[in-house]
Formats: sequence, structure tokens, C-alpha cells
Amino acid sequence: MTSGTSRQTQKPASRDTASRRGARSQRTGLNSRVRAWSRHHRAMARDSAYRLVRRPVASLLTMVAIAIALILPCALWLVMDSAKVLDTELDESATLTVYLSASIDEAQAMEVADTLRNRPGVAGARLVTAAEGMAEFQQALGLDDALSELDENPLPASIIVSPIDVTPQAVRDLSERLEDVGGVDEVRLDLAWLERLNRLAELGQRLTLALALLFGLGVLLIVGNTIRLAVESRRQEIEVVTLIGATHAFVRRPFLYSGAWYGLGGGLLAWAMLALGGQWLAAPVQALAQSYGASFVMPTLGVEGSATLLISSTLLGWLGSWMAVSRHLKDIRPR
Amino acid sequence: MIAFEHVGKRYGGRFEALADINFSVQRGEMVFLTGHSGAGKSSLLRLIMRLERPSRGRILVAGYDIDRLHASQIPFYRRQIGVVFQDHQLLFDRDVFANVALPLEIQGLEPHEAARRVRAALDKVGLLHREKALPIELSGGEQQRIGIARAVVNKPALLLADEPTGNLDPQLSADIMRLFEDFNRIGTTVMIASHDLALIARLRHRVLRLREGRLIADEHAAWEAV
Repeated sequence: MTSGTSRQTQKPASRDTASRRGARSQRTGLNSRVRAWSRHHRAMARDSAYRLVRRPVASLLTMVAIAIALILPCALWLVMDSAKVLDTELDESATLTVYLSASIDEAQAMEVADTLRNRPGVAGARLVTAAEGMAEFQQALGLDDALSELDENPLPASIIVSPIDVTPQAVRDLSERLEDVGGVDEVRLDLAWLERLNRLAELGQRLTLALALLFGLGVLLIVGNTIRLAVESRRQEIEVVTLIGATHAFVRRPFLYSGAWYGLGGGLLAWAMLALGGQWLAAPVQALAQSYGASFVMPTLGVEGSATLLISSTLLGWLGSWMAVSRHLKDIRPR
Repeated sequence: MIAFEHVGKRYGGRFEALADINFSVQRGEMVFLTGHSGAGKSSLLRLIMRLERPSRGRILVAGYDIDRLHASQIPFYRRQIGVVFQDHQLLFDRDVFANVALPLEIQGLEPHEAARRVRAALDKVGLLHREKALPIELSGGEQQRIGIARAVVNKPALLLADEPTGNLDPQLSADIMRLFEDFNRIGTTVMIASHDLALIARLRHRVLRLREGRLIADEHAAWEAV
């Protein structure tokens, strides 16, 4: 039965002009209903925020619990994200070193390099002559003095080949094919550590996902429990408004906003804690990286990550509240 | 307005709260429902409010078989019925104005229109000057009048009251009943459950008597015989 027909049933009952005016304003269409709907949304968003603020300690405790649940998967994700940067660097460094026979001179070595460059599956080939190899070796090891005492350059010329396909299996296949090329003495590649790293990265990603799911569920339960108590404390109000014609959506709305506020608050707290924690760890991490001669930038959530965190925490709060309210509304039947 | 056709209600399969109830109430009538506590008065009102469904029979309100209402239609059905409770069921965390405005808020009425109607309803129950008071600051009789104002604020076609004078002294009770008569006079159908037989007899309206879940008497204007 729509409100339109309801007005018609009562119209003959009351004949004073005031009620007729009332009847007309009730029958106005979709526009006014949308206005009423958005008005109630605004009112409930305000009201539920006000209820949170009125009990600051309890609200804050809930939000801190949510924040803690969010921080763990987020932190792990950040670690994995910075590992991914390492990972792509490793992919780029998935090169083959082709050592040439010692008997080959520089002109022949250039020819071999050209041959390799034209082989299928090869993205590029860079010749490192024996002299260049020596220079690089000296630079890397800082053994200028010791090596300068050698009469002859013991290093063979080599060609650094970068494969098109960097997956371990493809690289292995390519190395086998390159060994047959004339003038090639040996092809070196170290794939075991690369594979291990790949596996580790996958493990980390799955762990992050599992933790995110687990702790997301935790957030649902935290919000659900808080909202359950809120529903219980407003039981009489729910009974009364149900008796006088409130829809489920109407009853649910303030609690959904409470849940969303809790989620947003928890998300903001988690974000702040991550930022602070990152700053706190930045100095020692950078010092550590520098001691390895690497430069390492502390990972941050960034705009996208922050938005993802806040939106998903708000949605989780909303969803947790929705589940709790729906479950408990069934128990509340007006006496 | 209301028609009961062979309505029965059992709870838990054993206890028979109502059995084979038949009556009809015309639009604009004022009817008392009486009987000892446990006779089935509240059950009958709960059936009309669609808080419960009959185990047997059919209930028509304003021509609709309310058992056929879809769950999503029930709130809109209830908005046509004003209900007054014995314990008035006011919300103590908000003032009188907000309490009376509640049904209009649920219907999504424009605030200025709602305010106008709330004041009209408060004026009718004589408590316009208390709109900013909290329910806890009011006397029992005043609280009940606020409950009535809330029930009539959206001008329902049907007004139900369950023991509205149960906690009030005779003078206040008479005042409350006079209020119901006023609403009835402007066309509202009124049904009041009460066991205050002396008061009912004085008011000279139709009386439905229940005993142990059965309708034992339907006294149309019994006062004419006196």
C-alpha cells in the first residue's frame, strides 16, 4: 500500500482545511521523497557522529581496535610492495654472462656478439672486452694494487645477454642454446636464488592476502559487537518506531552510519600510525641500507594506498554494522 | 473500517488467545473492547496492527486483507494507524516535540510542515506550552496526552488504544476519554481496549466484550436501553 492510497483512505475522515493541505503535500512525488530520504541520511550521519563524540573514550577504543587490525596487513603489504621494487630490479638483472674462449681476439668477439644479438629470444647483447672486464673487476672489488701486479689479463672477454623472456625456465633454455654458438666457452646463470626469491615473493603476497582477509573479518566482528550493544541500548526506540511504521531501512540507517564512522575513524588512526611508524623506522632502515651500499626509500601508502585503506575500512565498518543490525533486528519484535 | 471474519489466534499451538471472532467496525465509529486481563484484548489489537498474524480467519482493514500484506508494505500500513499504549512508550532521550514529530519524521515530511502539525497535535491535547520539556518532567497524565498527540499527529484513519487510562486516576481518565471522543467526532475511527467498566458505561459507545478469547457480547449503543 503506498502512502498515496493511505492518504485517500483518511481523506474523508478529516475535513478541516489543514488536513487537506497536509494530504496534498504528502502526495507529492518522487522528488520530495528523495529530498526526505537524503534529509534523513544527513540527519542520521550527524546524529550517529554526535553519539560517537558524546562517548569519546568508548568510541576511541573501538577505533583503536579497528586500527590495530588494519595496521598489520597494511604494514605487510608495504613490505611486499617495496620487495616488488627489488623484484623488478632482479628481473632486469636476469642476464646471462657468455664467456668467450680465451683464444678469441676482439674483432672475433664482436662478431660473436652480433651473432648472439640476432638469435631469437635475445633482447640485447653487450660485449665486455677483457680489458673492460678487468676495469670493472677492479672497480667493484677495490683491488687496484693487487691486480695491477698481474702481467697478463686473466679474464676472458664476455658478452652480457639480456633475454626477452625473463622467467627462469626460458632463461635456462636460452642459455643451453647459446652454448652451441661458436667461440662460446661457457654460459653462466644463477637461477636458483632467483627462483627462491620468486617463491618467497609469492608466499609473501599470499600471506598478506590471508592476513588482510583475517583482519578484515576482525574489523567486521569488532564493529558488529559494538553495534550490537548500540542496538540493544536503543531497543525501546527501535520497538516504538517499528510500531509507528518505520521501515527496516529507516531503523538500520543510524547504525550503518555509526559503523561507517567507526570504520573511517579506525582507518584514519591506522593511517596515522603507519605514517608515524614509517618515520620512526626510516632512519635506522636507511642507515642499514647504506651500509650495504644500497639506497632504500621507506615505502609509504601514497595517495592511492591511503584512499584504498580509508575506503575499505569505512566499507568494512558499514558492512559489520549491517550484519549486526540485520541479525538483531529479527530478535526485536515490538511487545 | 475493520472486519474480523472467524479469526482465531493460537500461541505455540496450545494456548488459544482468540477463537472465532466476528465483528465489523464502521468508518467513524468509536468502539470499546473490554474484558478481564487475559481475555484477548491486546491480542486483538496486535492482530489489527499486524504485529501478529491470525492462525485462522481473515482480517480486513480499510478493505485490505492485512494478512496478504507483503513484509515491505507493513510499515506503510502501520502509518495509517495511530496507537496509544498504556505505558505511552515515549522516548526519554528527546523532548516532547521530537517525540510527537517521530511519525512524521518516519514519513519524511518537510520539517516546517511537520512542525506545524506537531504544534497542532500538541495544541489539541492541551500541551503546546510543554513542547520543549523532556517526557520525564511530565506527569503521568501529561505523558499519556503526549502519547496521544504522537498517535494522531499524522491524522490516522484509525486510532487504537490499549488501556490508555490504565495508570491514571478517574478524573484524568475521563479527560483522556473525552480527547478520544473529540478525535472520533472529526471522523477518526477509534477502538479502545479498557477494563474500566464504570467509565465505559458512562461514555455510551459500542462495546465488544471478550471472555477467554471469545466475543461474548457486542452491545450497540447499550445506553439507549437504560
